[in-house]
Amino acid sequence: MTTPTSPLGARGLRALFFAVFAGGLSYQGFAAYAQTLIPNTATAGFQSTPGGPTRTVRSNTVTVPLLSERLEIIKVADRGAAEPGDSVSYRLLVKNSGSSPVTNVVVTDTLPLGFKFLNNSAKAALSTAGSPETPVALSSVTVSGQTITFTYPILQPQQTLIIVYAALLSPDSIRGSGRNLVVAAAKNPAGGEVRSNEASALLRIRPGILSDCGTVVGRVFTDKNFDGEQQSGEPGIPNAVIFMDDGNRVTTDSNGLFSLPFAIAGYRSGTLDLTSLPGYTLAPNLYRIEANSPSRLVKLSPGGMVRMNFAVTPTFREGQR
Amino acid sequence: MTTRGVNHLHSSTQPEASRFVAWRNFLRDGANCPIRPGIYVVASFLAIAAATPAFAQSDRLLRVIVNSAKDGVQPDAELTLREAILLVNGTLPADKLTDAEKMQVSPSTERSRIEFNLTGDTTIRLTEELPPLATGLTIDGTTQPGYKGDRSVITELALPAPIVAIAPVEGAFIFRGLTVAADDVTIRGLSLYGFTSNHEEPSLNTPNTPTTPPADIFIAHRLPPPDIRKQRIPANFAPFYPDDLPPKGTIIENNWLGIPPSADGLGRTAGVRSAFGVSVFNGTGTIIRRNWIADHEGSAVITSVRATDLRVTENAILANGVAGMPDAIRLEGNVDQAQITGNVICGNDGSGVYLFKPDGAVQIRDNQITYNGRRLRRAAVYLMGNNHQVINNQVGYQTGPGVVVAAVPHSERAVITGNRFVGLEGLSIDLITQQNTNVVDYQVGDGLNPPRNNFFRRLETGNAAIAPPQFVTRNFVALASADGSIQTAPIQIYGRADPGSAIEIYRVTSANGENSLTEPIAKVTTDSKGEFVTALSGLKLGEQISAIATDPRYGTSEPAAIAQIRAIAATSVDLPIATPPSSAPSCVTLSPPPPEPPPVVPTPIVLKVPRNIHFALDKDFISPTTAKVLDQIVKVLQENPMVMVTIVGHTDPRYTYEYNLALGERRARNTRNYLLKKGIAAERMTIRSEGKRQPATPGRNKLDFARDRRAEFIYKDARDIEIIIQEYDLQIER
Repeated sequence: MTTPTSPLGARGLRALFFAVFAGGLSYQGFAAYAQTLIPNTATAGFQSTPGGPTRTVRSNTVTVPLLSERLEIIKVADRGAAEPGDSVSYRLLVKNSGSSPVTNVVVTDTLPLGFKFLNNSAKAALSTAGSPETPVALSSVTVSGQTITFTYPILQPQQTLIIVYAALLSPDSIRGSGRNLVVAAAKNPAGGEVRSNEASALLRIRPGILSDCGTVVGRVFTDKNFDGEQQSGEPGIPNAVIFMDDGNRVTTDSNGLFSLPFAIAGYRSGTLDLTSLPGYTLAPNLYRIEANSPSRLVKLSPGGMVRMNFAVTPTFREGQR
Repeated sequence: MTTRGVNHLHSSTQPEASRFVAWRNFLRDGANCPIRPGIYVVASFLAIAAATPAFAQSDRLLRVIVNSAKDGVQPDAELTLREAILLVNGTLPADKLTDAEKMQVSPSTERSRIEFNLTGDTTIRLTEELPPLATGLTIDGTTQPGYKGDRSVITELALPAPIVAIAPVEGAFIFRGLTVAADDVTIRGLSLYGFTSNHEEPSLNTPNTPTTPPADIFIAHRLPPPDIRKQRIPANFAPFYPDDLPPKGTIIENNWLGIPPSADGLGRTAGVRSAFGVSVFNGTGTIIRRNWIADHEGSAVITSVRATDLRVTENAILANGVAGMPDAIRLEGNVDQAQITGNVICGNDGSGVYLFKPDGAVQIRDNQITYNGRRLRRAAVYLMGNNHQVINNQVGYQTGPGVVVAAVPHSERAVITGNRFVGLEGLSIDLITQQNTNVVDYQVGDGLNPPRNNFFRRLETGNAAIAPPQFVTRNFVALASADGSIQTAPIQIYGRADPGSAIEIYRVTSANGENSLTEPIAKVTTDSKGEFVTALSGLKLGEQISAIATDPRYGTSEPAAIAQIRAIAATSVDLPIATPPSSAPSCVTLSPPPPEPPPVVPTPIVLKVPRNIHFALDKDFISPTTAKVLDQIVKVLQENPMVMVTIVGHTDPRYTYEYNLALGERRARNTRNYLLKKGIAAERMTIRSEGKRQPATPGRNKLDFARDRRAEFIYKDARDIEIIIQEYDLQIER
């Protein structure tokens, strides 16, 4: 964009903008001169000074291939949810819905984290317009990390290539998304590339027996020696409410005990809801400053168990803070 | 010195040292130089203890007369209470006193005594906590000249008014009045009020928890909490050390706790209320008798670790629990052989007596437990544990059931006989069943139990699911007596209960849709088949009867389904109308009794009285405009002593349910506080919160919201009260 030459900089700039908006962007779609490519450019006109000559700028050219071949791909899994240790079988349907055959079909499948392709599990079949499937052999199956590439020589119009394979869920899979992406590509007779849509299959990963959740246990009790520990003669408070950082509401039993299974590992905090125990408030702790806090921060290791104890004492001056 | 427990712990070393130096200077120079200008020695108990490694048990018994209402330890002409306690404890040597002070000290024969001879102001204003009473002594406020021990303020109990009062100075927070840490301490004839501690805003230096328990009188082992200098972290299996011995034989009598001395007992502290009355933290054989314990934010009597052989006798326990532990007497810990007898327990905010997971058996006998549950609906007496006895009490006008026996922890053999119940909002006796442990089960009970159709009911029900008696019929037919009145000839009553149980038959009245066991009228035992029969005379047609069964192996049952006395001709007999309290709701009668109230006007009384007061957005204080409206209500309530009122706090519908419930609660509480200050008796007021559940209007504009933010007055027991709606204190948000 040129700088306005007018000494009245601000006014010139305003004129420039005016011109751009007045002229606008003009779009010209060129008539298709070839069977496969549609070039496309844009121009913009503006005046650098008010009333001056209109200048025109042209954009680069973008070409859009016009294809008579189309590839469609669908992916499904045999289940909606899985746990580490399960094997999942996926089914891919690659359909040439164009009017000319495509060659060198390459199906690229990206497995989510923690999924392992089972060797020799890939099977393929062909079907034409809903006719029965006939087993065929894939020309190659290559595995590179999480990417699996299936290739097949040629797919006639309205023909569907069905690929079935299996993958094993490793314990890592619970950290991944569970979403599996696949895309197919091929060559048309003119040598151009045909790409399919991108298909995906989402699996809900359950932690299963390899859960890394922990358990939070604790108690709410009347503290009589102000050390924050429950000893004999310090009864538990029933029906006290503890709120966890994720909004979980936990109620103590008649002995003042509570437990929260399946808590996600990490730093967890909880606090005592004092409105749930009228007549009591948090007891002072004469031995540890940290325990005078109304909330408890604990580090829950995967599969571990932590304690979250609340000591209370009869209260007075309610509603004064 | 701060009153906060933990801060105390961390800040005690430095000031302690500096005070010690000052104290040593005083000891060195004091005798020769009676008044040393510029030095005012604030003796701290900690400083004394640092100077003397162990508690010096004074082998000399002293009689000390306090003749100064000031506070402090200073060589001057007068003896203060603090100096007297230090002298008796043996931490202030008598030879360090000035001659004028020595005049007030003489040897004593039996035990040390602190007596009073105050002139002028008789209120001792403390600047900091008094040292614990570390040796056996008597603090006797009845020795103050002018004390009239034979003149009671009320007619129900012998409660003479004290003269000597002990209170914090204006604006100071002192968390305990007298701390008992030795055997054989007697505290008599004093008024102690205003002892609480401040919940400060939590910050980096002030933790978020309150102090260790405050109280007017605190009874604990030596070095009472929060003092942990000699107490390292307790072991997991033993909460206390072998030398944490409970003081034995503390006697607290003829004191007024929580209220200043006044001619009629209606005086209230202008400053903050006391937190708790008597806190028996750790003590055995404590006797609390003939005290007036009123106007506390927490319980009047509360126990914690041990209170074996506690005797709470003939006290007036009125209007406690207004902003804290709501129950008048709260028993926790080891309370074996405790006895609560002959008390007037009235107008408190929660239960009259609540036993929370105690050890040992308690006897509750001959008490008058009325008008409790003002703030929280709770049972008049809530029992957990075994072998308790609730005998010959009068339980009335409770906003909950009479006596509840918990299912968890398993509680049985609670004997509940000879009591009179009236005007309850629940069962007279409620045994929790099916191991219910919900919130209501620990407050107001779970209602009538299902039949014991299964062995496991015994295990999961309070008092081992002893079955209530069953009358053979719901209608006992009576012959009218010869004179034709509704009085009946003797009636044979047949029924069935668990074999071997003793049956007590009650006359029943209905109020609030509930039946109360009003009066025991007969006792009978079952035969080996569980059947019983008795002849009752003195019943009237239309009267209702019920019964309870008591088996010493299990306890007392819930009341039986009621039966009615009917005439032989199947004419319908109107039920006797439930009799409202025949006297105005009040806990105690002043002595001499006030002049008889004017006879009730037979025509309906029309009251012009506001029904709502309003609050500003998210606020709970009473504005000056609102105060004028409340003054109108005060006037109406004073003119009509029969009128009781329920104050319900409401909020506008914005923000969360829980927040608004708490806000409504604060509004109701502050409204009641205002009325209490104006002299309306606590037993006439009940407070509740509805939060945002009941907006006044369905609208959503600012005016509607302002109308929603209100405290609503629901007048009860008042005949034909016309209600005019006022809203000139409406406070629209800007």
